[in-house]
Amino acid sequence: MLLARVEGNLTATRKHPSLEGWRLIICQPISQAGEAEGVPQVAIDAHGAALHERVIISSDGMAARKAVGDEKSPVRWMITAIVDETTPA
Amino acid sequence: MRLGTVIGRVTLNRTVPALIGARWLIVSPFTREHFQQGADAPRGLSKDPSLVVYDDLGGGVGQTIGFIEGREAASPFGQPTPIDAINGALVDHIFYNPYSK
Repeated sequence: MLLARVEGNLTATRKHPSLEGWRLIICQPISQAGEAEGVPQVAIDAHGAALHERVIISSDGMAARKAVGDEKSPVRWMITAIVDETTPA
Repeated sequence: MRLGTVIGRVTLNRTVPALIGARWLIVSPFTREHFQQGADAPRGLSKDPSLVVYDDLGGGVGQTIGFIEGREAASPFGQPTPIDAINGALVDHIFYNPYSK
C-alpha cells in the first residue's frame, strides 16, 4: 500500500469490460512529507476521492478483482482509503 | 495501471501455444514529467525502458494506453500464460492537475 495524492483522472471509452463504470484516478505516490515519489499510477476509486486529496492505494489484485466483481479482470491498483491526517504532520 | 505511448508493434514467429494469435505493442511509459507537459506537448521517448504489452483492445501507434503490469496482467486468461503487461484501456482524455503547496 502506498500513500498517494490524487492528481487527475482519465476517460477511456475502449477498456477492459470490468473497468466499466469505475472512476480511473491518477495517483502520484508521495513521501510522508508530501513530495512526489516515483511514477503516477492509475487506480480505480470506489470512495470518490477529490482532486489533491491524500489516499492510500493498494496493489492487491485479488481484492481489486473482487471489488469489480470479475475474477478475470486485470485490475491491480485501487484506492482503499482517503487519508485524514498522518503523524507527525 | 500506468500510462504510455504506443511506439511500435511486435509480430512473433515461434511462440508458446497460449500466445498464438496475440497482438503486441511496444509502449514507452509515461514518467511524472510526461504528465506535467500536458496533452499538447509532443511525447518524447521515456527515460524508463519501453516494454512489450499484450493487446486485445486494438491500440495503434501514437495512441496513449493504460497498461497493467505484474501477475494481474495474466488474470484474463484461463490457463497459466506468460504475460507480464496487458493493455487495459485506450485513453481518450487525461485530466491532470499537479499538486503544489
